Amino acid sequence: MAMTLTLRVWRQAGPDQPGRLVDYVAHDVHPDMSFLEMLDVVNDDLIRKGDDPIAFDSDCREGICGSCGLVINGVAHGPDPGATTCQVHMRRFAAGDTIVIEPFRARAFPVLKDLVIDRSALDRIIAAGGYVSVNAGGAPDANCLPIPKHVSDQAMDSAQCIGCGACVASCKNAAAHLFTSAKVTHLALLPQGQPERARRVVRMVEQMDEEGFGACSNEGECEAVCPKEISISNIARMNREYLKATLAGE
Amino acid sequence: MRLESRIPGGPIADKWDKRKFENKLVNPANRRKFTVLVVGSGLAGASAAASLGELGYTVKVFGIHDSPRRAHSIAAQGGINAAKNYRNDGDSVYRLFYDTVKGGDYRAREANVYRLAQMSVNIIDQCVAQGVPFAREYGGLLDNRSFGGAQVSRTFYARGQTGQQLLLGAYQSMMRQVGAGTVQLLPRREMLDLAIVDGQARGLVCRNLATGEIEAHDGHAVLLCTGGYGTAFYLSTNAVNSNVTAAWRAHKRGAFFANPCYTQIHPTCIPVSGDHQSKLTLMSESLRNDGRVWVPRNPGDQRPPDQIPEADRDYYLERRYPSFGNLVPRDVASRAAKAVCDEGRGVGDTGLSVFLDFTDAIRRHGEDVIRSRYGNLFDMYTRITDENPYKIPMRIYPAVHYTMGGLWVDYNLMSTIPGLFVLGEANFSDHGANRLGASALMQGLADGYFIAPYTVANYLGGTPLPAVSTSHDAFQEARAAAQGRIDQVLAVKGSRTIRDFHRAIGALCWDYVGMARTAEGLDQAIAKIAELREAFWQDVRVPGETNNLNPALDYAGRVADYMEFAELLALDARHRNESCGGHFREEFQTPDGEALRNDEDFSYVAAWEFQGVGAAPALHKEALAFEEVHPSQRSYK
Amino acid sequence: MPSQLVHALSSSVGSKILIALTGLGLAVFLVTHLAGNILFLFGPETFNTYSHTLLSNPLVYVAEAGLLVIFLLHVVKTLVLFFGAQQARPQGYHARRWAKTKSPRSRKSVASTTMIVTGLFTLLFLVTHLGTFKFGTYYESATGMRDLYRLQLEIFSHPGYVAFYMIAMALIFLHLWHGLTSAAQSLGVDHPQWTPRILAAGRVLAVVLAGGFFLLPLYTFLLARAS
Repeated sequence: MAMTLTLRVWRQAGPDQPGRLVDYVAHDVHPDMSFLEMLDVVNDDLIRKGDDPIAFDSDCREGICGSCGLVINGVAHGPDPGATTCQVHMRRFAAGDTIVIEPFRARAFPVLKDLVIDRSALDRIIAAGGYVSVNAGGAPDANCLPIPKHVSDQAMDSAQCIGCGACVASCKNAAAHLFTSAKVTHLALLPQGQPERARRVVRMVEQMDEEGFGACSNEGECEAVCPKEISISNIARMNREYLKATLAGE
Repeated sequence: MRLESRIPGGPIADKWDKRKFENKLVNPANRRKFTVLVVGSGLAGASAAASLGELGYTVKVFGIHDSPRRAHSIAAQGGINAAKNYRNDGDSVYRLFYDTVKGGDYRAREANVYRLAQMSVNIIDQCVAQGVPFAREYGGLLDNRSFGGAQVSRTFYARGQTGQQLLLGAYQSMMRQVGAGTVQLLPRREMLDLAIVDGQARGLVCRNLATGEIEAHDGHAVLLCTGGYGTAFYLSTNAVNSNVTAAWRAHKRGAFFANPCYTQIHPTCIPVSGDHQSKLTLMSESLRNDGRVWVPRNPGDQRPPDQIPEADRDYYLERRYPSFGNLVPRDVASRAAKAVCDEGRGVGDTGLSVFLDFTDAIRRHGEDVIRSRYGNLFDMYTRITDENPYKIPMRIYPAVHYTMGGLWVDYNLMSTIPGLFVLGEANFSDHGANRLGASALMQGLADGYFIAPYTVANYLGGTPLPAVSTSHDAFQEARAAAQGRIDQVLAVKGSRTIRDFHRAIGALCWDYVGMARTAEGLDQAIAKIAELREAFWQDVRVPGETNNLNPALDYAGRVADYMEFAELLALDARHRNESCGGHFREEFQTPDGEALRNDEDFSYVAAWEFQGVGAAPALHKEALAFEEVHPSQRSYK
Repeated sequence: MPSQLVHALSSSVGSKILIALTGLGLAVFLVTHLAGNILFLFGPETFNTYSHTLLSNPLVYVAEAGLLVIFLLHVVKTLVLFFGAQQARPQGYHARRWAKTKSPRSRKSVASTTMIVTGLFTLLFLVTHLGTFKFGTYYESATGMRDLYRLQLEIFSHPGYVAFYMIAMALIFLHLWHGLTSAAQSLGVDHPQWTPRILAAGRVLAVVLAGGFFLLPLYTFLLARAS
């Protein structure tokens, strides 16, 4: 059952160093392995041989933390829809395949080493307005504001974003619109988000632009790679919110 | 040193109010002059950082991830308890308190638990105000479910992603403070040592994981919010980077470690498939609300599940625990699964799993209803196992999930080192020997939003804290110690990989300090751990250098700490000659195989003081007094 | 315009809103243009009278100026974003595959990936088109009006012109196919029931506009041949 595969992996020693694709042979790949477990095994081999292991980010390995993110054969998070890189299993590949592995690419996501990138730009977008300004201790009773179930469900659809950055990686413009719009939408839908609604969208969009992300071409490649399948309807809503905020003079 | 738990006097319901009033305050104008270092950005860390930032303190947040939102709280699925009694089904603060003390098998501190139950109510209010999209009913009000065998519906949830939504709520509040300039984020930093000046925790030394630089940071108080030590077992449901390092290094500087043997094994995890496995995946135990657990009645029955007739099936939880059935607490369900597998009745290739069958539920409610309840969990299961649980029963097996033990803290969440506070899973305080489902999130947020802001203020306002900078000898010494350990592990240049050693220490922990423990096994484990530690320092191979991003080096440091910590885990389990909650000693069980506590001799918190690597730690006991809930044998029959 | 609004419309989102509005404006112009040109089918009298009435109205200069501004805004904004996108990903991928291959949720198409090419070609086409017609040979009809009917008949008797126009219309069709639906998204028009209909309407409009302008030269060519 064990397969042998060729990996063509982006290696880059540091942020300011040039990188290149390097070929490795992965032996004894079991179909039940996850993609990252396969890389663990390859890395242990490299360590035994005295080579530098391939650096990549990963943590929860169950698709929720958003740490992992590789472009596998040209597609962010690999071949499975609605899944993160850690959720891809090797049964999706055949013996003898060559797999090209690259980091998420964007000016706003500089490579730190190999496949490890810096996504702090996304945190700064949230810091610009992706919150409700409520201090601990001042909250009214949780049930004082009824929220229709479908509205709450819709907010949850948007709130599921794991902040992995795959939307940016797969967008031809390296736009962060899906990420930003998911947070704008989540909070714009809920009554708690109303007071800062206009200010939020304007500030988050400004920050997004400042970070050097591109603009949206409305292709929806982001939605296709999103592990949570967040819809580009969120982007439409962000555009609408922005338009409204602009007309209102925010 | 005497353990001072600092529990306020008076009736249990008034203790926290009393403490809040006794507490010293810090003048709003002076707050920014105090720097609080928060290590970890999960529920406890993010909520504490947000709250302290809102109050005006200068806060620095350290985390090992690229973003604070990655902390492992994000993976909690099921829900969060709160004594809101929105269901009118008899819940109250007192009942949540009672259930938690009982669920913890009478090894928790009553006063802490009561305060936790009180805070639970505020947490839900706070989270809703932040925009956490909890599940709602058609009327627009919050939905609740019964969880983990509770007889009232007090669990609030956001699909199967409650931890994610609560963490994002806390993270967003913290990011708001980052925007406001009160909180400074220091991502990709791993705390490696604590700087203690005149007996007070005054800062820390950390490694910048992106550049390899060793940094020192001074402050007036340090909050450890670094989670549990489940990855000591190698395979666990924790994230692969979860570790005990920060807590362990603090322990080595004098913070006592309490009750490490209380580890929780979660019954509904996806079974191990092979050696390559790097972690186990938990599926919410809400699955047990509709799924029925069974194994074949006869050992060696190899028939596919749908060909095993009812008569040849053993629904062992329903049989053994008729009133709670499939919803018995986690420790009970886990041990029962191990027992049937030990009898040779386990299923799957490895014989180390049991069925969780939804056939009856699908027949009763229809596939659509089951899909709406558990769709994402079923998808997750299919993705990993390549099997369809709508058609064939799931296979599950217990896995390490949560650790109740942790650094000892007093009622104010301060460790035995003044100025070092410990929040969330990293401390030992609220869950006793076993944690109830949907209580971890509650504790992390209670500590961060509502407890630390008062008790840290009391410390800052009431303690003389002379000016200290990172040029102080304590920082220089800690920096040298941290760098020394890194150089030491790089210098071994042996032949075995770090993962190899992690797997080995994990196997020792799982085999001897896992679901069922014996004195004999623990003695063996203690000896083997020491040998393995020796072998680690002789033969580990760590690639790369210290001065750049080197995940293998980070990993080596964590595994090196587990080589020391595992010994304490086994020692604690060895010394506790009783069974309670997550600690099950085979010698101490009732005739029908239930945990047998020994309240006479062991109704205390075991707080261990570090005496040197390989040296026996000193045991300090904090006696537990039960004034409200009188210990009884837990029964779920 | 207040400077605040200018600022807002220069953000990534604001720019796309502007591109959508100007694009829709140009599409509206195409509708009127096509409606007018259809009169060609009714013979020289009708067609020349229509164009004379239109061109002798002094407001036409205002309209043309407006159209020019809209067109330039559309082009300039798009080019700014296009070059911005190049900067947003200085290092590309070695292996690149459409994510659409993994999930049908993507709307990526040949049309969406070639917008800049089809757009620039349209610019080129427009220059030629204005050169041949607006600033082309001035024939005078018997009634003293400009005989655009004759001009059109003459130009489209050359198969090369016809072919060029037909290729241009195919490319403009691609541009409209993505552009019209994309404009709705950029303006935030989105509704679970209405979005699919809007998308469909956009595509029907793309077919009608490009199809109309595709057939007219062909018709003229055949007419010229027949006479």
